Amino acid sequence: MQRVDHTAQSDGELIERIAGGDRSAFEELYGRYARAVLGLAMRRLGDRGRAEDATQDAFVAIWRSARTYKPERGAGAPWLYAVARNAITDGLRRTPEPAAELQDGPGTEPDPADQAASAWTAWQVHRALEVLPAHERPVIELAYWKGLSQSEIAKSLDLPLGTVKTRTRSALARLAEALEGELE
Amino acid sequence: MTERRPDFDALVPDDLGSSERERLRRVHDALVAAGPPEELPSRLAHAPDVQPRVVPLRPRWRPRLALIAAAAAISIAVFAAGFSAGDHHATPSAVKTVTMAGSPLAQDAHASLALFKVDSAGNWPMKLTVSGLEPAKSGRPFELWLTRHGKPLALCGSFVPTRGGTASVPMNAPYKLTEYDGWVVVEEGSMQPVLTTA
Repeated sequence: MQRVDHTAQSDGELIERIAGGDRSAFEELYGRYARAVLGLAMRRLGDRGRAEDATQDAFVAIWRSARTYKPERGAGAPWLYAVARNAITDGLRRTPEPAAELQDGPGTEPDPADQAASAWTAWQVHRALEVLPAHERPVIELAYWKGLSQSEIAKSLDLPLGTVKTRTRSALARLAEALEGELE
Repeated sequence: MTERRPDFDALVPDDLGSSERERLRRVHDALVAAGPPEELPSRLAHAPDVQPRVVPLRPRWRPRLALIAAAAAISIAVFAAGFSAGDHHATPSAVKTVTMAGSPLAQDAHASLALFKVDSAGNWPMKLTVSGLEPAKSGRPFELWLTRHGKPLALCGSFVPTRGGTASVPMNAPYKLTEYDGWVVVEEGSMQPVLTTA
């Protein structure tokens, strides 16, 4: 069977190919979204093992539900988010969280609407990170999630400071393009 | 652990136009809000083992087997022409029969799955016989899946029971059965088993 290069295809196009049983399209979509789905599951379940199980469940659900995707109703990312979220919730029903002890005083849990908005933002951002070239991604990760300064990143990656600055700006611009219209 | 939020002004020079700068600031804020993506463990390095969709009664023919199959078909036709009555035991016997019981979602349901000899292309022909399973209220068909540790991973076919709750459906499993440890029947689009071997 001839392999198809799916890297230039949109998420929606991949989902349509998956609906036709295209395993390589499924692999490509998995590469784009596996981290985002795992992140969503971690946010919802808070337990690494259960989140990993839920991630597998979510992709099985994506495979099985692909036929229900209607491109005229919207892009692939929101559809994938909905299917993944539902699969994670289904998993939660099967193995409920341990009952939490009641606490006195005002609740400290974040507002559900805020949680939902935050999960959606993280989903989009983590998906967008997958579009970064391999040489740009480390400067973003080190700056944002390791807390390194530009000088420290230059030293860590053994690059000139000017190169780090250029790559950072380029990566942010690329992410802005990928997230165009998604961020308010 | 205290996280150091990166300084946007240190990351993005102020020689950019204000609109571009604002665009990058939105990305900056989103990155901070999103936090780091999860690292994938080795067990999630690859997509789950879902197989290409299987259409019941359509085995994977290897091209070079087509001629052999055609010759066999001719032989069978010649044989069948002289076979009009009497012994009808030509139906292959099952090499294994798996019983399935209804889950709490369909407590009255039962099923048996007869597995026949694997063919040369690696297909396991089988026949699913179901009773006591009412058609889904959603109108969607039911699906038979191979499972591992309770997870449906490989689709074997789908069916719609009669109003009397019965079905007798030939199916096909083009998989290595040793890689799985059970079977379930679920409603299409659901992960909740209505029949299970567990």
